[in-house]
Amino acid sequence: MEPINEIKRDSLLAFLSAGRRADNRGMYDYRKIVMQPGILQNADGSAIASIGKSQVMAGIKFDIAKPFADRPTEGVLSTSADLLPLASHLFETGPPSDESIELARVVDRGIRSANIIDLQSFFIAEDKVLALYIDMFILDHDGNLIDASSLAAMAALLAARMPKIEDGKIIRGEFAGKLPVKEMVTTCTFGKLGDRIFLDPTLDEEKGMDCRLTLATTETHLCAAQKGGWGAFTEKDILELNGISLDKGKELRALLKSD
Amino acid sequence: MEGKIVMPGEMISDKPDRISYAYVANGKTYSTVVGLYHEGKLVPLEGPYEPLPDDYVVGIVTEVKFSGYSVQMNCAYPAFLSSREIRERYVMGDALFAKIAMIDEVRSTELNDAMKLPPGKLVKVSSVKIPRIIGKKNSMIDMIKATTGCDIFAGRNGYVWIAGKGNAPLAEKAVKMIEAQAHTTGLTDRVAAFLKSQPQIIIDQGAGAPQQPQMPPQEEQHERREGGYRSSGPREGGYRSGGSRPHSGGYRGNSNRQ
Amino acid sequence: MMGGNAANKPVLLKDGKRVDGRSVEDVRPLKIVARVLNDADGSAYIEWGKNKILAGVYGPSECIPRHDQSLYRAIVKCRYNMAPFSGAEEHGRSGPNRRSKELSKVIKEAFENVIISENFPKTQIEIYLEVLQSDGGTRCAAVTAAAVALADAGIPMKDLVNAVAVCKIDGQMAVDPGKEEDNFGESDMPIAFSPRTGDVLLFQMDGMLTPEELARGFELAKGASAKIREIQVEAIRKVYDEPREERFLVIEKKD
Repeated sequence: MEPINEIKRDSLLAFLSAGRRADNRGMYDYRKIVMQPGILQNADGSAIASIGKSQVMAGIKFDIAKPFADRPTEGVLSTSADLLPLASHLFETGPPSDESIELARVVDRGIRSANIIDLQSFFIAEDKVLALYIDMFILDHDGNLIDASSLAAMAALLAARMPKIEDGKIIRGEFAGKLPVKEMVTTCTFGKLGDRIFLDPTLDEEKGMDCRLTLATTETHLCAAQKGGWGAFTEKDILELNGISLDKGKELRALLKSD
Repeated sequence: MEGKIVMPGEMISDKPDRISYAYVANGKTYSTVVGLYHEGKLVPLEGPYEPLPDDYVVGIVTEVKFSGYSVQMNCAYPAFLSSREIRERYVMGDALFAKIAMIDEVRSTELNDAMKLPPGKLVKVSSVKIPRIIGKKNSMIDMIKATTGCDIFAGRNGYVWIAGKGNAPLAEKAVKMIEAQAHTTGLTDRVAAFLKSQPQIIIDQGAGAPQQPQMPPQEEQHERREGGYRSSGPREGGYRSGGSRPHSGGYRGNSNRQ
Repeated sequence: MMGGNAANKPVLLKDGKRVDGRSVEDVRPLKIVARVLNDADGSAYIEWGKNKILAGVYGPSECIPRHDQSLYRAIVKCRYNMAPFSGAEEHGRSGPNRRSKELSKVIKEAFENVIISENFPKTQIEIYLEVLQSDGGTRCAAVTAAAVALADAGIPMKDLVNAVAVCKIDGQMAVDPGKEEDNFGESDMPIAFSPRTGDVLLFQMDGMLTPEELARGFELAKGASAKIREIQVEAIRKVYDEPREERFLVIEKKD
């Protein structure tokens, strides 16, 4: 099916001007979030996160790798995202699109800035470190893939186990305790149309909106941000949304903890 | 709805019968789809929309051309609305409600009798469920409209447009509920009970609200001419070349194919 | 397929019992759920042994690019893909490799046979198969799930296809090899059937088989195929016997 704009900007504006959203949510309400951590056995960590009809699976794998030349004692953290063609007819097969690259890098930035994984502890021997791969498989697209991916990645990290290493090699199938994760990072993605701002846009809302802002937070700090789209946010917007993200983070962390 | 659920490849008759959505092999008739089989008729439970003349559909304008508009209507084949058929002007993204005037030999659809739809939300359902969503003599759709206060346009193509200031999410839920249970009995009562049990937010119409356009009657004045297709059965051996070999075997409703 | 070190070859068959306790006729535990995705026209999720595979189908829709289209029928496109975290060993690379391209082709050709494509000229039908977790026999599981996804989408087919592999372990033919049997067995033969006719739509093998072993392999595979079809039908019927308005993928946690 050809990609079409299901709700014109006008239709979306009509809803928002009346202070409503098409699904009767409040402006800063999330859709139903369901977490399924630890569902895969071959992966070293895994989770599915769904926000409304968007569904994302994150898988974690450890490998032995060479460290980066400028950081010889540090482990490697690598994040990627696949916008699978079965998730949306808007996604095509082929090399990673700009959208999937942005998605992966935004999720990665939050995790890396807050230093929640101690990459220094991944040093094994000269020229040998542990590499942690986070791969997000987008299974179903109904908007706000960034927040769904962050939740899936975070839940996968929390469910992950350290591999057993012997003589500089990973013994697959055996583990050495849980992956230490310092704290939880959560993201909140907002859409903006005109001067209306709303949290957790659906796909319809994404098609009509002017821009989006993703804020990654720990309990106390902002640790990553990404603005996308051609529209503009004001400074006041951003300060206010930062507050809302810190607040919403509590709700999201509760969901991550509960399993 | 009555009948037995059958699977693709399942035998539905031990004689060679001419049944839509079924094929004949070795003197027996087999289903090609997941469908309900009852008294010689096979009705698919899912499937792509098959446009037929006189169907009313909901479409979205995807391209503004010099002589008219390209319309997206949940169909693999193009649909076109000529400017000569309408008085208003449309822009890309506009939703409309129109009638299929004709389908040509390359399966392009021409629309007429079009009406621009007010701002609203598009809900996509499986097109085979639309008759159930409309109901006998519009009974089901009227019930949803009355309880939710929404304007609802159900296109035979599976696009349902929900507009107006009523409780759109509730209307959408009702539509989705019917879609999931279209094959069951007692559905009308269950939908009525569901609608009654939900809080219905009525938004003030306000003074000077624009007149809602009247929807043309969607009753089926005649039995909808059956779409569907009959396969000529398993292809006779041989390697299929690059598509230049003419195909034999009859298909009702797919005329003029050489 | 075969590649294990002959020196550490374990005993695969003893007193009619295989490494996991199965007999030569038993298929691994198999579960299918249909209609698990919201955007795809049809979808199915299969767990077969430890394999976890998701199938999504679109179509018929406009054929893009235009030059691919056929004037006489829908063209079938198929992509088999493995998640980087799907294997038991190291992290895989994203994107298609030679093996996945080969599998995409042979699976596509199996479905080109049964999909009644003449009804939708100039369109395309897309089948996407994502291996979330692999455990030997992914192509058979993928074919089996794809058929359910196609039925879920309402795409007309001559039959509900499924596939199962046969192996030779310790000189005996056995159905549905597990990981060890895949690695240390003497032959691997995946077969896709149209159960109604017994037509073979996908057929590959490696290893060495006598004519008797080949015949025995088919006998075992056909028996298994009939049982697998029942599970497919059950999954499809469940969509209608237990209608849900919400679609989501649920994976039960196992240790």
